[in-house]
Parts: sequence; C-alpha cells; structure tokens
Amino acid sequence: MNSNTPLLEMKGVEKHFGGVRAIDNFDLRVMPRDIYGLIGPNGAGKTTIFNTITGIYQADAGQIFFEGKDITKIRPHEAAAIGIARTFQNIRLFGNLSVKMNVIIACNIRGGYTMAEALLRLPRYRKVSKETEERAMKFLDSVGLTDKADDIASSLPYGHQRKLEIARAMATDPKLLLLDEPAAGMNEEESLDLVDFVKKLHRDNPITILMIEHHMDVVSRLCEQCTVLDFGKTLAQGTVEEVKQNEAVIAAYLGGEL
Amino acid sequence: MINSFYEGIIVTCCVNIIAVLGMSVLTGFTRLFSFGNAGFMAIGAYTAAICSVQFHLPFALSILIGSAAAGIVAYLLGSLTIRLRGDYFLISCLGFGECVRVLFLYLRDITGGAVGYTGIPFRTTWIVALVCAIAAFIIAWNLIHSRFGQAFSAIRENEVAAAANGIDVVKYKKMSFVFSAIFAGWAGGLYAHYLQHITPVLFNLPKSCELVITTVLGGLGSLSGSVLGTLVVQLLPEFFRKFSEYRMLAYGIAVVLVILLRPSGLMGYKEFPDLFKKTGKKKSTGGA
Amino acid sequence: MKILVQQMITGISIGSVYALIASGYALVYSLLDFSNWAHGEVCMLGAYCCFMATLIPRMPFALSCVIGIAGAALISLFNERIAYRRIRNNGSPNMFLMIAAMGLSTTYQNLANVIWGSKFKQLPRFFKTSTLNINGIFVGTTDLLCIVISMIVLLLLLLIINKTRFGLNVRAVACAGTTARIMGIRIDQVIALVFVLAGALAGLAGITYGMKYNVYPTMGNVGLKAFIASVIGGLGSVPGAIVGAVLLGLIETVVSGYISSGLRDLISFSLLILILLVRPAGLFGVDVQEKA
Repeated sequence: MNSNTPLLEMKGVEKHFGGVRAIDNFDLRVMPRDIYGLIGPNGAGKTTIFNTITGIYQADAGQIFFEGKDITKIRPHEAAAIGIARTFQNIRLFGNLSVKMNVIIACNIRGGYTMAEALLRLPRYRKVSKETEERAMKFLDSVGLTDKADDIASSLPYGHQRKLEIARAMATDPKLLLLDEPAAGMNEEESLDLVDFVKKLHRDNPITILMIEHHMDVVSRLCEQCTVLDFGKTLAQGTVEEVKQNEAVIAAYLGGEL
Repeated sequence: MINSFYEGIIVTCCVNIIAVLGMSVLTGFTRLFSFGNAGFMAIGAYTAAICSVQFHLPFALSILIGSAAAGIVAYLLGSLTIRLRGDYFLISCLGFGECVRVLFLYLRDITGGAVGYTGIPFRTTWIVALVCAIAAFIIAWNLIHSRFGQAFSAIRENEVAAAANGIDVVKYKKMSFVFSAIFAGWAGGLYAHYLQHITPVLFNLPKSCELVITTVLGGLGSLSGSVLGTLVVQLLPEFFRKFSEYRMLAYGIAVVLVILLRPSGLMGYKEFPDLFKKTGKKKSTGGA
Repeated sequence: MKILVQQMITGISIGSVYALIASGYALVYSLLDFSNWAHGEVCMLGAYCCFMATLIPRMPFALSCVIGIAGAALISLFNERIAYRRIRNNGSPNMFLMIAAMGLSTTYQNLANVIWGSKFKQLPRFFKTSTLNINGIFVGTTDLLCIVISMIVLLLLLLIINKTRFGLNVRAVACAGTTARIMGIRIDQVIALVFVLAGALAGLAGITYGMKYNVYPTMGNVGLKAFIASVIGGLGSVPGAIVGAVLLGLIETVVSGYISSGLRDLISFSLLILILLVRPAGLFGVDVQEKA
C-alpha cells in the first residue's frame, strides 16, 4: 500500500429501500489521516452510508474498499475487526452495564484467552483480564471519565455518554473512526469543546475520521474535505471552503445558514 | 446419615439449580428466551440413562455424554433458528421441546414410551448433587466474568452496538444457547440417576416454563438470584404440602404478584456480594 | 375418498375452533407485541361459565352460551386491567407480559381444578341427531355447527377490523401507538376493547370445543395449538391466524387418520419450525428490520 491509496474508497454505491433510493451512485475517497465531513439535511442518506460501510446494510450496487481490499460484503463484527469503529446518531451504549464494562467489552476484540482458560481461571485468563481492565481505564482517562468508571452507563449525562461511546469505539483499535453527528443536541459551547476533543483524539492517535455533522461551524473547524448529500445524491465534493461557495449547495440546503 | 425425604429435596433443588443457571446465562445475560430447555433436560436424562443401563458406562461418563448430546442438538438447532427474531426464536424452542417429548413417547422400543425408562442405577446422592450444583455455579460465574460472558451482556444490552464493537452476535448467541443446553442436559442426567425411572412427562412444556419463570423470579442478569429463585420455587411448595390442591394455585398467583410488584425479580442485576457493598452510589453488575 | 372428506370436515371444524382462539392471539399481538398465553384459560373459563349457566333451571341453552361468552370477555378484560396494563405502564420489558400471562394461566387452571374438580363436564348439544348421512358421508352436526358459527363470527371480525371506526383505531394503534395517541386515539380504551373482543371469541371457542368434546380444567391447552396456528400465520395477522388455524386442523386430522395419532403433535410442531425457517415471520407476517 502506498501513500496514494485511499484508506476508504466507495465506488458507485447504491442502496434502496423499497422504491426509495437512500443513496444513489455514491463515490467517496478518504485518505489516511484525513478528517472528512459528510454534510446534508435529514434523510439525505448519510447514516445509510455508515451502515453500508460497517456491513449493517448490504449495498445494492457498487463497491467499497478499505486499505485497497474489497469490503462490500463485510459483516458488522468483521468491520470492527479490520479497524472500522463507529458511534451512533442515537447513542447506543450498553446501558445497564458499568461505564468501565462498556469499554472492556470493546477491548475484548483482541481476544487473548480461550473458553477453557476462562472457565478454569488459568493464569493467562487472569493476566489478560487485568491488562484489559487497565487498557479500558486508559481509554476512560483519555475522555476524562475515570471517576465515573463504576457508574451505570445510562445514568451518565448526555455529553458524557457521547464521550463514552467514542472511548468505546477507540478501544477497538480502529484505523478509521466513523462519527455519526457527534455534536447533535449540543449547544455552541459544548460543540466547541467537542471540536477540541476530536482534534486531540486525531492528534494523539493514528486514526482517520469520517464524520456526519449538521453544525457547519464544527465541520469548518475540523474537516479539510467534505461531501454534501441531498436525497441520496452527491451535490458537491471538495474542501469546506469550495463547498460553501457551491451554488447548488447554497440553493439546496445551506442557504441562510452561511 | 440423612433421610430420604431431605435427600430428595436437596437433589431436586440442586438439579433445578443447574438447569436454571443454564437458563440464566441464556435469558438473564443474553436476553434469549427458550421454552424448550426441558427438551434438553430430556435429551440429557435419556442419553445418560441409556449409557448407564445399556452400555454399563461409569456414572460420570454417562452424565458427560448426556450433556454433550444436549449441547450437540442445541448447536444444530441453534444453527437453524438462532437468527429468528424475538418471539419467533422462543416459539421455535417451544416447538422443539414438544417435539422431543412426543418423540420420546413414540419411540417405545428405545425409551419405554409413556411407561418410562426404568432400571437406572441410583447414583445421584445428595452429595453428588450438591457438588455438581456448586461446580455448575462456579463454571457459570467464570463464564459470565470472561470476555465470552461480557459479550453475552453486550448483546443483551444492544445487538447493533455489540456487533459494531467486534462481537459476532450470531456466534455468541449460539454459544450461549449451547451452554444452557449443556447445563440442562447435565441436570437431566443427574435427575435420571436419582429418580431411577424417567418418563417424558417430567420434561413437558410446563417444566420449560417453570425454568423460565424461576429465572425471571430470581432476577434477570443475576446468577445468585437464579439460585435463590430456584430455592424459593422448589422449597415453598414443600411447606404447603398439606394444601397440595392449592399449591399450584399459590404458585401461579405468586408469579403474577412478583411480576407486578417486583419486576426486576428477587435479585435483578445484583449478585449476593453486591448486597454487602456500600449502598448509596448506583452500583452496576450484570456481567461485570 | 369418503373417509378423506369426512376427515377434512372434522379437520376444518377443529381448525375453526383454533381460528376463534388464534385470531384473539393475533389481535392482542398486533397491539402489544406479546403472546397472551392466558388466552387458552380464558377459553376454558368461558366454557365453565356456560356450563354453570346450564345448571340454572329452565335456562335456554342459547342464553347460557351468551353468558359463557360474556364471562370470557370479562375475564379477558380483567387480565388486561389488573396485570398487563400495569406492566406496560411500569416500563418493564415486553417479555414480562408473557411471564405474567403464564402465571395467570397456571392460576386459572388450578383455580378451575379447585372449584370444579378435574372431572369432565358435558355441555348439552344443540341438535338431537348427532350425525348426518350425506351420500354415505357421515358428518357430525356439532362439527357443522362449529364451522358455520365460526365462519360467520370470523367474517364479522374481519368486517369490524376493516370497515368500522373501531377497527381503524385498532389498526392505527397497531401501526404506531405513540402517533395514534397524539392523533387523539385513547389507546388504553382501544386495548381494553380488543381484550373484550378476543375474550368473547375465546369464550365462543370454549363453548364449541365443550360441545364437541368436554369441559375440563386443562382444556385451555387447546390455546397452545391455536397459538401455534397464529405463529404459522404470522404473529399479529388476523387473516394469517385463521388460515394457519384451518391448515393446522386439517394437518392434524389427516396425520391422525393416515399416519399415527402418536405422531400428530410431532408433525405439527416440526411443521411449525419448518415454516419459521422458510418464512421467519410466518406465512402472512412482515419481517421488519431494526433501523440502525
């Protein structure tokens, strides 16, 4: 793999639900270490793109490549295993489990011991369990939730739940992190906090980020490149500044917001 | 050293504890409901009995083969049905359990039909039963606190998120199903070697329902709750033995009352040690 | 050939009893997404209410039947009021509705045992002659009565669901409970009425079953068969439940008649699993995918 290979590439991807084209002939190239934005009004098909990348939906046409390998028909857990992690628009934590356990479960992706070793509590099980717990605490530390480790995940305030979900995604050791509207429901101050948080995350870890976002101020502060969608079709693609000047985009969606 | 009445109670409790612990892993931790686990008990019981009687295998080996048989059948059934959504999965289990019972009734030459299978040696003393129940608890506890059990809890909490974090949902659901069947088969084998005479009626749909109800009463997501639930369900009727007519009536009313008044069961999401920890701060367990 | 026709009629007749109960399962499932396992016992209690009414001197049998049906409807409503509604409102998982229903089922079965004992009770028959001879085919009059009554009642039920305002409300709540509430439908009232309707159907089924066979405390187990029928048809679909019920009735009698009555249940249950494997949501069901 040379430096010109995109980390994620989508070619002519389509997904229909009944008669509705949720995404239509969609192309995307995300280079390693990018922070890439997907913008568009509700129902534009942004989350559907995430779902086809992570294998929750199968694309009806087109191909998806990750590090040059075809992953069009991947299953969700395999996507996690090759290094694609995600968060969800409507946060999906393991609500009744502790904050720490949420992250431990993601850390378990490394495996490390067999069923027999677990049932008999052999030394390797104990060693790996201890390491996993320490690793989980490290991730919690990185999002500032160390003192909440023993709380039940669903009892956290909304902003902390978002951060926990990101910590959990990071714990699977991803190369590509998909963030689905991380600033949803946040006020301006909280959004700015989030921008710093994502920047730091990107600086400290060798990850590439693809994010769906409504808040233009968040996108302009974070992303170099972005794609604008409307009703499943790509309206514009380019740097944030280019897109902002694009007339089709202004007419269709951004309009007064800019 | 212990009279047969008390031995009977201890063995029955222990056997049911093993079956309910299997159920607890499946239902309490993976949120899969099965109304066919009595069928797995039957498979374990008959297989172990036949191994002992026809092939004169040692007791421990017979029990092992019985549980393995239940596990294998669960694996095959699960490969077909584990993808069914919600109620349809539990209904397929129900259908399976009834199939097993009717099949054992029908295969008179092998199982003795409705008259039952007799001549099973008495091997499950109260000590054997107690040791097995304790071993079962330790195994289930270790499973739940390993990455496998943690994956079960993740599936219970949110399947989509579990898959997004690298958990093969189908594989782990099947694992949990097979585990519960092995425990049911283990319980069945022990029970056969206590009763010495087994009939298909012992493993009917009401028995499957009893296992589910006990798990729910004990509290979903709690192994110690499952043990407590089993003791309550098995022992309370003994106290009402004099009013045997009203026994099942009281049991039915109790189920409804617990669901209405204490929906999380006796020990929902808590284990015994949690009860002695500092209260005040919200504690979490359920696989942690 | 004649025997086959005879058996088909018996099959449709038992199938029509299943259909009355199965449509009740489907109605409740379509609204609340749970399988009301106490439904078979409602059917049993309806039959006992009818039986008790026949003991009153000079009570016309038709009126006893009405009493039986009303009794079943009331018990069904009672279940909803004391148990199901509370569970819905205290935010428990949906599965608890089913567990509560299992508890109610055990309670009623044993209550009947305590009150009436386990002996079989006989309901009077409508007709003096028990069988008709049509061109050498012997047909039970009670069987015919079952089929005719069930057909009329089920047609009425389909009309109610598809043509009346109440039916529209039921379908609206089934599709989208919260939206229906916002649109001004009183959900709890709709649910209560559906339980009354389902209970009345079960009561009628209990009485027809009692006329065909007997009345006894464990006769509610017929509810399990009806439940299977509703699964075969697709949970929550009333027409599916009816088709599934008649199909199951036919298969059962044909298997008993031509293969072995010992294998009857084995074949029905295997069929159930097979149908689920081929059509994971039953014949008439819609397999919905969770939105991610």
